[in-house]
Amino acid sequence: MKVTLAMKPGPRSFIPIEAESIVPKNFLAGTDLAVWRGNRELRLDEVFSVSVEGDADRPEDVEVVLSGDDTFRLKRVGEYMDGGKITVLGDIGMHCGNFMSGGTIEIHGNADGWLGREMTGGTILCRGDVADYCASGYRGGRKGMKGGSVEVFGRAGDFLAESIAGGTVTVHGDAGDMAGAEMHGGTLIVHGDCRRPAANMKTGSCYVYGTAQGMLPTFAKNGTVQHEGRTLIHFTGDIANRGKGNLFVKGYKYLD
Amino acid sequence: MIVKDAVCPFCGCLCDDIEVEVEGNRVVAVANACELGTTKFMCEERLKGPILRDGDGWKEITYDEAIRYAADTLLSAERPLLYGWSGTHGEAQCVGVHMAELIRGVIDNTSSVCHGPSILAIQEVGHPGCTLGVVKNRADLVIYWGSNPIDAHPRHLSRYTRYADGFFLENAFRDRKVIVVDIRRTQTANIADEFVQIKPGGDYAVLSALRAIVQGKTETIPRTVAGVTREQLVRVANLCKGAKFGAVYFGVGLTMTRGKYKNIRNAIELVSELSRHTKFTISAMRGHYNVYGSNEVNTWMTGYPFGIDFSRGIAFYNPGETTAVDILARKECDAALIVGSDPAAHFPRRCLEHLADIPVIQIDPYPNATTAFCNVQIPVAVTGIDAVGTAYRMDGVPIRTRRVLSTDYPSDEEVLLRMYTLMQGAR
Repeated sequence: MKVTLAMKPGPRSFIPIEAESIVPKNFLAGTDLAVWRGNRELRLDEVFSVSVEGDADRPEDVEVVLSGDDTFRLKRVGEYMDGGKITVLGDIGMHCGNFMSGGTIEIHGNADGWLGREMTGGTILCRGDVADYCASGYRGGRKGMKGGSVEVFGRAGDFLAESIAGGTVTVHGDAGDMAGAEMHGGTLIVHGDCRRPAANMKTGSCYVYGTAQGMLPTFAKNGTVQHEGRTLIHFTGDIANRGKGNLFVKGYKYLD
Repeated sequence: MIVKDAVCPFCGCLCDDIEVEVEGNRVVAVANACELGTTKFMCEERLKGPILRDGDGWKEITYDEAIRYAADTLLSAERPLLYGWSGTHGEAQCVGVHMAELIRGVIDNTSSVCHGPSILAIQEVGHPGCTLGVVKNRADLVIYWGSNPIDAHPRHLSRYTRYADGFFLENAFRDRKVIVVDIRRTQTANIADEFVQIKPGGDYAVLSALRAIVQGKTETIPRTVAGVTREQLVRVANLCKGAKFGAVYFGVGLTMTRGKYKNIRNAIELVSELSRHTKFTISAMRGHYNVYGSNEVNTWMTGYPFGIDFSRGIAFYNPGETTAVDILARKECDAALIVGSDPAAHFPRRCLEHLADIPVIQIDPYPNATTAFCNVQIPVAVTGIDAVGTAYRMDGVPIRTRRVLSTDYPSDEEVLLRMYTLMQGAR
């Protein structure tokens, strides 16, 4: 079954639309769903032109396609998703794929903050850039992403994979400040540069194929290793946190 | 007439030993207060009554008209923002939270642009803090980190630290060591026993290095960390470990620099590490006199300290998403109520551009930069001067402010209650 949700053009507005109802399994029972624009509850068809092709008995057979100029306003799309596919033909708002445990979300544009927050499984592909807190945890939470994979083909903002405890995050461009902060499991790979990676890490593996700017002084150098055709410098830490994590970098620069 | 033991409604110290001399319903002299507090007590540049924007000018309106305008505007909004709250008393803040829930808006206070990161860090790793009295009587080592109390909290040093003798310190100036950590040599650094000058953005690295040194892992630390030599870091760590009771006070120099709440988390974890060796505490140098109170009120009423979104009828909290700067910069609200704060003086230009595009109601005794952005301003009595109310000191101690003048201005609480009553009727 393919569900196409095309955002209806309307007066220019930036008030976010919370759309946690947009999850493949919800469409097995029809399209009588609601979303929230600010404090107003709206029917799905007040915001989108909805079309459905074919039918399905299980979430894995449902694909939801989102389109329109304002998809960046949509928050919480794919929250608690456990199967099927969501394709966003543009940008997506905050909290896309929160807590997802299965299925695939593909974003053709950029994703706003908290993409894949606390996800436990499934796959997220972002063809553009992601903002802060991609694959991270919630405020005060001890664990961020616990499973699944996130792949970003553009750049990532700050606090990428904060508190990651499992799964894999790959960013093909640069990442911002504090990538992998409070990491205690999982794997983070940044193909470009980033600042202060793996701050306060406990366990897990963080790879920076570019330069780690502002490298923290509390990582102990352990020589070099070969990794997928690259020679990387191996550190362990964060010793300030009695950590035994692994940080591999191509180059590094202290703020000395 | 001299009013004794008045409470200064300026900064988070909430000094409660102020003497205010009043003649003919005017404050003519203030004793014991610092320059900041004295100026607030003596300020007379207040609006006489509510004003409504009228083309390029203003016209005077009644309180009833202003309150009706505010209620109607906020009720019709899809995502109203209720911001400020640190410059008013707890009773008014309570009404604000009720109002935000009723109209399903977002309520945020100024801590989102000052010590909000401190709260985020506390939510991650807890808060080993204490009252100012404990520090005054016990601390033989005080660290000011990213804070310049001589300019921002002028009596903090004389009432609680550098110059304040305590029960266990007969001669504080001799027996109490003061360390200042900052990116530049401030006035406070000049009276410190040790000044640690950090390169901008280097606080986190220095805190991590100190944690490692306190654990005895000095050999891993490079020769310099963010401009600070390893020798000085070892000396500071030894001073801390050798203290009988240490207290860290940090300011926005730590909360609002690169890393934000991670800096505070690291500072708290350093204090936890030091507490394996001796007694150590850490507290925030809160700015506005009742910003702590706003966090308290919000937390006991909603579970969250600031940045609370009631759009869906339940409280949702996520700083960076539900905080005023982020909402305004993203143009995500369609009306705003500003209470006891001056965002136009502090917020980024992008936020102000949106503030200029939406209806704004301001409740504030004084004309300020935000006046230029509001449609209606409603003047009120000043808590601690012509209104009473409860405020929370920077260490979480509630203090009842006193009235030193009698005027006809309604209090924040009275104006907000009238607004709230109208809203209840409409809902």
